[in-house]
Amino acid sequence: MTNGGGRAAPDDFGRAAARLAAAQLCQAAGFHGATASALDAFADVAIRYLLDLGRTAESYANLAGRSQCSVFDAIRAFEDLEAPRAFSGAGAGVREIANFVESADEVPFAQPIPQFPVIREGTNTKTNMNMNMNIPSFDQMGETPPSKHIPAWLPALPDPHTYIHTPVWDERVSDPREDKIEQARQRRKAERSLLSLQKRLLLRNGSVEAKATTSASSDSAAGLDPQVVGGDDKDVSPVVKVSDEGGGGGGGGGDGKRVSVLEAFGPAIEMLGGGGLCDEDEDGMGGRERTELPAARPTVHFKFRTGKKFIGESLDTKLRKKDVSRTAALAGREDERDDKKRRAEYILKQSMENPQELTLL
Amino acid sequence: MHEELGLGKKGWRRMNHNPQSSEGRHDDDAALSDFLASLMDYTPTIPDELVEHYLAKSGFQCPDVRLTRLVAVATQKFVAEVAGDALQHCKARQATIPKDKRDKQQKDKRLVLTMEDLSKALREYGVNLRHQEYFADSPSTGMDPATRDE
Repeated sequence: MTNGGGRAAPDDFGRAAARLAAAQLCQAAGFHGATASALDAFADVAIRYLLDLGRTAESYANLAGRSQCSVFDAIRAFEDLEAPRAFSGAGAGVREIANFVESADEVPFAQPIPQFPVIREGTNTKTNMNMNMNIPSFDQMGETPPSKHIPAWLPALPDPHTYIHTPVWDERVSDPREDKIEQARQRRKAERSLLSLQKRLLLRNGSVEAKATTSASSDSAAGLDPQVVGGDDKDVSPVVKVSDEGGGGGGGGGDGKRVSVLEAFGPAIEMLGGGGLCDEDEDGMGGRERTELPAARPTVHFKFRTGKKFIGESLDTKLRKKDVSRTAALAGREDERDDKKRRAEYILKQSMENPQELTLL
Repeated sequence: MHEELGLGKKGWRRMNHNPQSSEGRHDDDAALSDFLASLMDYTPTIPDELVEHYLAKSGFQCPDVRLTRLVAVATQKFVAEVAGDALQHCKARQATIPKDKRDKQQKDKRLVLTMEDLSKALREYGVNLRHQEYFADSPSTGMDPATRDE
């Protein structure tokens, strides 16, 4: 209405109320309607008149040396403003008003409006009642102002932690050397537990699991030659099959089923000593094998190639023992052709040995 | 009370030529206080809160409600007078419009406060209200109204 949708001016409420009063008075005068602009202008004029009355009355009071207005100040102000209307002399102002009051019908305001402007908490009201709830003063906080020029009834200064930023240091000290040592220790621990697991599996379940874990353990074992990994894959399948047939023969030592993993891990296992083994050795005959490697060692057939390293080389002197002579080479890498040949020979041998083992049991 | 006031005022004026007696003044004051008391019964159209707000804005400090009411009534008197004058102008305009009777009848039923009537009414009170015209119907549009031929 007054603004056309713009930002609200602080005086909008008063203007709207004055507009309503002016419209009511126009209606009382006999008008049936009013244009919006005319009504706005009328309300504005009425407000200006009111302000003028107050200002003039206040000036009269100040002229008399007073700060508060009296009724006579108001009357004089009224007569001042009515001067252009060809007044009939001084002192008749109140009479005019009285006439008006008598003659005019009472037109009450359409809606009750609250006391405005609304006192927001934090400001002092007219009656000097302190409703300051937002920021307590120095007295209320119990603090003394930091300087002499600041009176105590002013709002208190904010706490230092709200505007001073102190740096926060991370007290935890990280030592890179210690970290590395810790890392190496953990790695060693993992290796040791892995090796003990290997040995456990070896002695408990015979060559099957040993063969199966050969490649797996070779993969994960640290410190071993990574080239072993590739070669053992080919050895797994034929050897496993062979071992199945011979597995019933016993988990005990003394037969020729020892596998290359033993030879591969031999030194490592011996390094572990007796501490790395577990206790759960179900095979009775394996009890005496806890701390010692099986007595029987197959004959290891080596093929020397340039550029390749055989684990079995290092074990040659220690492990070469004879029980059953085997032409199959279990360490190192073979060609596929040789693998098949070896497999065939091995199967043949097993078939021959089986009846012998059965009779042993 | 009305007569009392009249007498009081007249008496005061008569005594203007002579040193005024204290009685007249006392009557005057008594009448005034009576009038102010009667003001409390009368509810002015302009609400008290509005009046107090604008009086406070202009520096008028007064804890007395009667005085606030007095100012409110004075303002109401002013507005009512202006409205009455505007009404007179509006009616006068309708009388002078050269139209046939039926249109006039229709227009008589509808008295609307326009800027033109308002500005004419306010000019007598010393308020110069100029309104920007939307349509320029004649060459004299927008010129100072004092130079226009009415």
